Order: sequence, then structure tokens, then C-alpha cells
Amino acid sequence: MVTESIIEDEHFKLLTFLIVSARGCVDEPQLYGPLRLIDAAERLIDLMDKMGKVNDRLREIRETIRERKFSVIREEAEFLKLLDDLVLKVSRIIREVPSTR
Amino acid sequence: MEPKELLSIIKGRRSIRKFLEKKIPEDHLRLTMEAGIWAPSGSNIQPWQFVLVRDSGLIKKIKLVSPGLFGNPDALVVVCVDRDRYEKAGKIGYTMSIMDASMATQNMMLMAYGLGIGSCPIVSFNKLAVREILELPENLEPVIIVSLGYPEEWPHPPERRPLSEVVYVDGYGKHYRG
Repeated sequence: MVTESIIEDEHFKLLTFLIVSARGCVDEPQLYGPLRLIDAAERLIDLMDKMGKVNDRLREIRETIRERKFSVIREEAEFLKLLDDLVLKVSRIIREVPSTR
Repeated sequence: MEPKELLSIIKGRRSIRKFLEKKIPEDHLRLTMEAGIWAPSGSNIQPWQFVLVRDSGLIKKIKLVSPGLFGNPDALVVVCVDRDRYEKAGKIGYTMSIMDASMATQNMMLMAYGLGIGSCPIVSFNKLAVREILELPENLEPVIIVSLGYPEEWPHPPERRPLSEVVYVDGYGKHYRG
């Protein structure tokens, strides 16, 4: 049974976003693929936030996405720089995790 | 109206992706859609049908299947083209209907801007899903969604290619210098 609450469910929202974005990417401009992915990343951080899994570093990533994602419309180079910056930010988080061996 | 006033409206309209929680008065929505139906159309076919969506629950549903719809607008106008109408224009009918729907959309966005309302034309939505959610008949194809609401901010305009680059005079190659 489908209940009204499902359209408010954050997991369902993300799921739907991913499915319709997958279809959209077939026909849309190439750079909209990365745009949808970082949009999904922003939504994922929102979800993680509600589960208490977000620290300042992830908040900063989310802010960076929010502030700069629409550069895709203005300037390709600026958008690519954003993607690189995001990669660096997550890489630094990974790097700082103490190695087990 | 002075020509410069019209140009300032055209230049001032921005695509708005962050909206305030504020209701648009019904008469302003009516004026906006009225501007839409006064767009030109090929052979005066007027191939458009608009679905005005005001129900916040329905807006949420459409937003779920529209990756290009940002922010929380107060209303949507789903601009559709009607196959039963555009087919009357022959093989060129469909192409023309998209142009007509686009001109209607621009009229609506300019009118909205004139009323202080922000808008954004959206093509990144799933047509099948929107058709299903709005229970559109088979002859109607949703082609553009216009989101409407009061803007959180009016963003700076993206740069425009200059006239000297866009316009040629009396044939290709001779750039406009006006």
C-alpha cells in the first residue's frame, strides 16, 4: 500500500531523484550528469545529517555544493573546478583516517 | 511604455531557484497565464494547454520527478502541447508547437517578473512521470514547467554574448557594429 508519507520520506526522495535523473541523463547536456550526481551528494549529506552522521567537514562539502553547483550554467571551467575541489575535500577526509597497517 | 522600460523588464528577468514561502495572489497568476495565451503561434493554432499547479502536495510530487526543479515554488505552470491542435499544421506542426509553447512561456515569465514574481523554465523533468501524476490525456505532452514564487534573491545575470558576435548584417560574416 502506498501511503502519503512516502513522498516525505527522504530515502524515497533520493531514490526517485536518482531514477528520474538516470533517465534524464540520456538526453540532457553532458555536464548535467555530474550536476545530478553532486545534487544527489548534497541530498545524501542532508540524509546523513538527520542520522547524526555529519561533521563539519561534510557540512562544508554540502555548503560548497549549494553555493557553486549552478556554475554549471555560467561557466564550465568554474564547474569543473568545483568538482575537483569536492574530490580533494573527500580525499583529504579519507587520507586523514589512520591507516590500519 | 517607453521602449527602454520593456528592455529593462526583459533584461531584469532571472531564472529563480530559491523562493520565499509567500503566496502569489490569484489575480497575479491569472495575469501571468493571460500573458501566456497572448503569445504568437504558427497559423494561430495556439497549441498550448497549461496546467496550473497550486496544491503544495502536488508540487512536491512533481518536484520528486523533476531534477531541474530547484527551490520550493508557490505554483507551477505545466506547459503542454496538444497533438490534436498541432497536427493541423502538418509535418511542421510539432516543431512549431514547441516554439509556440516557448514563446508563451517567455510571455508568462516576463509578466511574472513585472509583478515581482520569480520564475524558472524547466525542461529537466520526466515527462512520463509528470503525465502520470497529473493524469494528462495522451494528446497532451508536457514540454516546459514554469516554477513561480517570490525570489529569495535576484541573482546576477550571466554574461551575454555581444550583439557584434551574435548578429550578422546582410549575410553571414559581416558582423553587426551598431
